[in-house]
Amino acid sequence: MTNTMVAVRGRKVALIEEGRGEPLVYLHGFADVHGVAGDFQPFHLRLGTAARVIAPAHPGCAQSDELGDGYGIDDVIFHYLEVFDALGLTSFDLVGHCVGGWIAAEVAVRYPERVRRLALIGACGLFVPGAPIGDVFMHSQPERGVQLTTLRRLLFAHESAPAGLRFFASARGDVEEEMRRYQMLRFGSFVGFKPPYFYNRVLRGRLYRAVMPAAVIWGAMDRMVPCAHGDAYVAGLPAAKDLTLIAGAGHAAPLEQADATANALIEFLGTTGGAGKRVSNG
Amino acid sequence: MTKPVQLYCWHFMSYPYLPADFDERYDTGWVTVPNRLWDAERSRGLYQEYIDQLAYADEIGFDGMVLNEHHQNIYGLMPSPNLIAAALSQRTRRGKIVILGNLLPLHLNPLRMAEEYAMLDNMSDGRLIAGFAPGSGPETFNYDVPSAPSREQFWEAVDLIHRAWTEDGPFAWEGRHYPLRYVNPWPRPTQQPHPPVWIPSSRSTETLVNIAKRGYCYFLSSRSHGSETAKSQAQFAKVLEDQGDRFDPFRMGILMSAHVGESDAQAQDEAKEGVWYFLKNCLKGHLRREGRMLTAGPGIPYIPPSEFRSYLKFSDPSAPLLGDAEDWSDLQRAQSIIVGGPDTVYRRIMDIVEHAKCGHLLIQFHMGNMPDALVRKSMTLFAQEVAPRLREHSAKLFGRHFPEMERSAEMAQ
Repeated sequence: MTNTMVAVRGRKVALIEEGRGEPLVYLHGFADVHGVAGDFQPFHLRLGTAARVIAPAHPGCAQSDELGDGYGIDDVIFHYLEVFDALGLTSFDLVGHCVGGWIAAEVAVRYPERVRRLALIGACGLFVPGAPIGDVFMHSQPERGVQLTTLRRLLFAHESAPAGLRFFASARGDVEEEMRRYQMLRFGSFVGFKPPYFYNRVLRGRLYRAVMPAAVIWGAMDRMVPCAHGDAYVAGLPAAKDLTLIAGAGHAAPLEQADATANALIEFLGTTGGAGKRVSNG
Repeated sequence: MTKPVQLYCWHFMSYPYLPADFDERYDTGWVTVPNRLWDAERSRGLYQEYIDQLAYADEIGFDGMVLNEHHQNIYGLMPSPNLIAAALSQRTRRGKIVILGNLLPLHLNPLRMAEEYAMLDNMSDGRLIAGFAPGSGPETFNYDVPSAPSREQFWEAVDLIHRAWTEDGPFAWEGRHYPLRYVNPWPRPTQQPHPPVWIPSSRSTETLVNIAKRGYCYFLSSRSHGSETAKSQAQFAKVLEDQGDRFDPFRMGILMSAHVGESDAQAQDEAKEGVWYFLKNCLKGHLRREGRMLTAGPGIPYIPPSEFRSYLKFSDPSAPLLGDAEDWSDLQRAQSIIVGGPDTVYRRIMDIVEHAKCGHLLIQFHMGNMPDALVRKSMTLFAQEVAPRLREHSAKLFGRHFPEMERSAEMAQ
């Protein structure tokens, strides 16, 4: 695992890389690497057995610089074009979780020629009537000064999920972890607070452009981005087949069910050509 | 003589008819507090009662009346303070009407604020003090206003309004958030070049610089007045000096709550119910650890990460907030809600003024579900027995500390 920094247009972007082979860009979510964890977790490491996983931290997250005042999702997409160019990535696999999934989908509909294969895990980004995305900001305000019970209930299968207790303990935790969480929320507040709340109403109608092989993977008990959003991605992405549900996981499937989530991705990569021969079943 | 402290009566207009077991049954008084608790029948005449109390403040010699904007909560029933200000403009003749303030990022277009404030300034014959505020945590949830980008939006709105008042129109405003091709408001304000502008802030240096360089008045948005208040004053004075300006007491205002009774014991006895209704119910969701506090924190991430890091370093999440006060001595330590006989109230307010060197005192008399007669009695005792002493001694104090104010007052005579 290597932690590096690249510069794009004078801004620092923090990157973690793991594995060899075809490049796979992983865009992180909230309960995820860069969002709360400083390093790759078992999920990312396992994914690294099947591809060269490159995970940049979103603007303002972890050690990455902010984009400046008043930016929005479009600026983030342009930012990522710069990141891809800086890394010399012309064509690559793109995987996104949570808000990272939203960014991945926005990139895929605009630049389908650059995205070899697309995988979304608990991705926000779509407007689905009657299935509102959970309010991560309100639930990040602790109860009784420190309790994050309802935030864990929103992000995990249940409020005492071990990964939830590890990264969202009901106590003032490690300052660096608290800072990462804060920076992630601040990033979220720039791209997703204003209505539309973590979605782009016109994205659904643009999904037809993302014709590359696509997988849609969802924690079966996701309360942050309800499974109906996964169904909507499956319906809209021309090459997506079924919604792959991860049993025993909520929104934070990569943290909660690392092997099952990574295996679903690896299987997708293996069956859609290209990286298949590198898949390890160990 | 140097100008004495200016005494304003601040009314929050809280909802007074909550069930007695509200605190046990509901986790917040803000944003999600169920509005089926609103009792339409009992609430008939409630706004009238509150407006009458403010008009009474004007009658008995307060220097002004203060209103502010809140949404979807039991703490303050003024989603539109401008409506109440319009009523006051027709009920009162003398005191300033302070709106502290309109929450600019919540409204579609700042030009509307420039227009409404100009109307109010005309309707009140130049008595408006125009406050602008960005809105705090609950408001970002109430109106889905993203907290981080809204700061930039706020200052653009302030500058647009200022220019709309002071520059001849029509002109084009080429802002990022509010581009307008024709800015040309009718009416223009009565006060020229523009009504005084007050801006609430905690202690963010960035905000203080923004206030100072525009020549505005800083309202310290804190309900407690320990040593932090004097530190805020010193910080603002330093910011003003860095801008080539100079602090005087009328560049700064503070908020406090008071209840005056005939004696300390009587004051406590009669204020008890209203004060604890206010602390336990109205502050739940705002300045109480109990329940979920929505005013500031990681879910309202508008401060830069570096400031959040020092907040993490210096704050204690288990420390009690004002609303967690359990008895009178807790309240006294917070130096926020001052309850006592005239001597006690005078002494404790004067103590704050001596430390904070602050000229605008914005005082809340109506707390929680306090009955009308009691609020008026407290205001009367304040006006008759506390205010004259505060005026006399603050004028001397300001004269000693700010001799240049004294000189300019003499020259004016």
